[in-house]
Amino acid sequence: MIKNLLSSLVVYLVSALSSPVLITAEPITGNAANGKEPYFNHGCYACHGYRGIGKHNIANDVSGIMMNESVFLIFLRARSELNPPLPFQGMPHYPESSLADAEALDIYAYIRTFKDSPPLAESNTTLQAIIRSAQSQHQAQ
Amino acid sequence: MTKKQSDTPSKTGSKISRRGFIGASVVGGATTVLAPTALGNTNEAATNPAKSLPPSEAQMEREVGSSMPPEPIHNVKRAASDLMVQVLRDLEIEYVALNPGSSFEGLQESLVNYGDNPNTMPEVISALHEGSAVDMAHGYGRAEGKPMCALIQGTVGLQNGSMAIYQAFHGNTPLIVLAGNDQHNFLKVHTGEDIAALVRPFTKWDAQPETLEETLVALQEAYRQTITPPCAPVLVVLNSEIQKQEAGDVQLPTYTSPDIQGISQDQADVIAQDLIQAKNPHISVGRLRTPHGIASAVELAESVAASVDTTATQGPMSFPQRHPLVGPGTDKDYDYHLGLERNASQVSITGPSLKSLMKRDVAGVRFGWMQDPSMRRGPTPEVLLNADAEASIQLITDAVRQRLTEEVTRSIGERNQANTKNNQTFKMKSLRQAIEKKRPGWNGTPVSLARMYAELWPLIKDLDWCLASPTHFSGRHHRELWDHDKPYSYLGQFPAAALGYGLGASTGAALAAKDRDRIVINIQADGDFNYMPGSIWSAAHHRLPMLIIMHNNRAWHMELMYLQYMAGVRGRGTDRAHIGTTFRDPYIDFAKIAEGYGMKSEGPISDPEQMVAALKRGVDTVRNGEPYLIDVLTQPR
Ligand code: HEC
Ligand SMILES: Cc1ncc(C[n+]2csc(CCOP(=O)(O)OP(=O)(O)O)c2C)c(N)n1
Ligand SMILES: [Mg+2]
Repeated sequence: MIKNLLSSLVVYLVSALSSPVLITAEPITGNAANGKEPYFNHGCYACHGYRGIGKHNIANDVSGIMMNESVFLIFLRARSELNPPLPFQGMPHYPESSLADAEALDIYAYIRTFKDSPPLAESNTTLQAIIRSAQSQHQAQ
Repeated sequence: MTKKQSDTPSKTGSKISRRGFIGASVVGGATTVLAPTALGNTNEAATNPAKSLPPSEAQMEREVGSSMPPEPIHNVKRAASDLMVQVLRDLEIEYVALNPGSSFEGLQESLVNYGDNPNTMPEVISALHEGSAVDMAHGYGRAEGKPMCALIQGTVGLQNGSMAIYQAFHGNTPLIVLAGNDQHNFLKVHTGEDIAALVRPFTKWDAQPETLEETLVALQEAYRQTITPPCAPVLVVLNSEIQKQEAGDVQLPTYTSPDIQGISQDQADVIAQDLIQAKNPHISVGRLRTPHGIASAVELAESVAASVDTTATQGPMSFPQRHPLVGPGTDKDYDYHLGLERNASQVSITGPSLKSLMKRDVAGVRFGWMQDPSMRRGPTPEVLLNADAEASIQLITDAVRQRLTEEVTRSIGERNQANTKNNQTFKMKSLRQAIEKKRPGWNGTPVSLARMYAELWPLIKDLDWCLASPTHFSGRHHRELWDHDKPYSYLGQFPAAALGYGLGASTGAALAAKDRDRIVINIQADGDFNYMPGSIWSAAHHRLPMLIIMHNNRAWHMELMYLQYMAGVRGRGTDRAHIGTTFRDPYIDFAKIAEGYGMKSEGPISDPEQMVAALKRGVDTVRNGEPYLIDVLTQPR
């Protein structure tokens, strides 16, 4: 319990610092290709989208939690005491008995492949049309 | 025999003369004389419940259509139900959505055959489920701020419709439910002595008239009650025999509009004075009742050049979002803050709430909302005026006008320019910030919901449109990207968070749109769709301008996330959380469902570029007056 609280504190400090800069060059031991299936089967997609963009974005190495495999594992294992058992859409708790290290590391490797490169607003006709429509509204008034 | 009306539950055992009015009853600030009368013997029904025997063989034969009615059909010259239709016509009820039943074959025959232009004003809309019929009336009522009717069969239809009535009640939506009741000749299981009791806790008013005259009066009273705040569904139980009677020389009663209570002249004067004196006034506008109310709110804001905030992105009947005065203005430190159906720091004018109807919970359900009625958001006002805002605004504007000196007018003009300029800058900045948040996942497969909303906007922005479905599950991206400038731009979340609403409500909004050169957008969650898909056929049959874009995440996704979290709390893993929360094996093919009901459709589409092309086809089809469904596989959220 105390251990859990401590590690969750660490996790929160880390996540407060969430930034791509923190992603290190530490080796990735999991297998990204094997990670696709457990990412789906364990329902990570439900909150993080099929490729890391969803209710909570984790693509493009934006998360400090993803800085290396061990922090990621601590994060998965550390959440049992965090939240009350109310209907809640927060990140679930994943003890080893429910998601083994090996699978978790494959998921880690898979998430690290998530690269999202959306168009810039300036170069996208739809987004430009939206901006122009708002501007012309004002000119009309 | 039992007969009742009530805005209050009738008292057990009380006897009131059949013909006498029970007198003035104050409902929601409006004084109304209630007729017809109550004969309060709910007691009998309560102590003698076993009147619903199983149907006899003869009754069953009639129900399956294999025998003649047990009584000869009256050879009438002037059918009583013709007069009922005339009352609805005079009230300008546009539609009656019905699911047929023999307790109202008299009325239905009049609807389709009576008059020079039969089946117009009102026009019969075929609903495949009573819940759909009520949801249609709900969507229509939200869009137009006035009622249409749902006509349903006795105890069974009323029970099917009840959840939709509950939802409309919480939506403060005007609508009229008509339920047929045939106490003599028909299936006893479809009848009751007081069938309105089934839904009494979540209707505003009901009546069970016993004569033709009383029926006509009750229909008018139903209309008056439902449009008087607190607006909510009302119910008239129609006796099947009365419908079939000879009307003889019965005359139509005269309708009088309700007298809806606004603030007093003195109160208006004080508010006007404060508005005039303020250097930086602000007005918060919530949900008004009708487009007329919005027009007068615009006039008031313009008369003093107050900055305004609006709920137009949250629901219907509020201030146009892109009006130049909408925004924070030059400075958020307002020295006078007025709320119209919203809380504000100084004065808040808010009409009566549903709480005033709590006494109708005769069944003693004691719904959660009654014990903990939700609080209005915003600051606590110094002065809270319990009066209908819409009925108050004109008084304030007039009082402002009377106080306009040349000097005041000049400073209002300056404020108008400054507020307009700042609001524009603010809005463009917010839009650009919002767009940055919508970009992630733009090219993702399946489709990003933000992109779905973004791609739709350029296609509809120059059209008259109404976004009728709740959008919470699909991210509400329209709030920042679209302009909500009409009373019906967005009809809001499902008021009782009860699923099965989106399709029926959008169909009702499409009824409102039909002859008004307007199109309806329905971004339809897959779980919500499956409760009552039959409105697809109604929309196809009546050629309604509704574009359905599936937000198909192949799940009751909200519940999936909850279940995952629960499994996580218990440390048991989320790999079985899809059980009972997802639609897999087999997937549901919504385009085929639509096709089966006769609606043009395409999909499933998971590629965003293909979605864009499909959206164009969809908008074109709907503009040509036909509904269309696009099944889009989306990111879950
Ligand atoms: C029910 C929703 C839900 C599910 C399922 C879920 N997550 Fe999360 N996840 C969240 C939320 C919400 C956060 C935000 C921060 C928090 O709660 O600590 C988060 C945070 C994260 C982060 C850190 C992101 C950051 O902002 O620093 C990672 C990495 C992550 N989740 C991975 C996973 C993986 C891997 C799975 C599947 C094994 C998973 N999540 C399943 C909701 C979910
Ligand atoms: C009548 C009714 N039954 C059940 C629920 C519980 N409920 C809340 S959200 C939800 C799932 C919604 O699924 P869907 O409409 O597909 O939206 P999604 O969450 O998948 O985006 C359910 C079943 C409810 N709100 N109303
Ligand atoms: Mg769904």
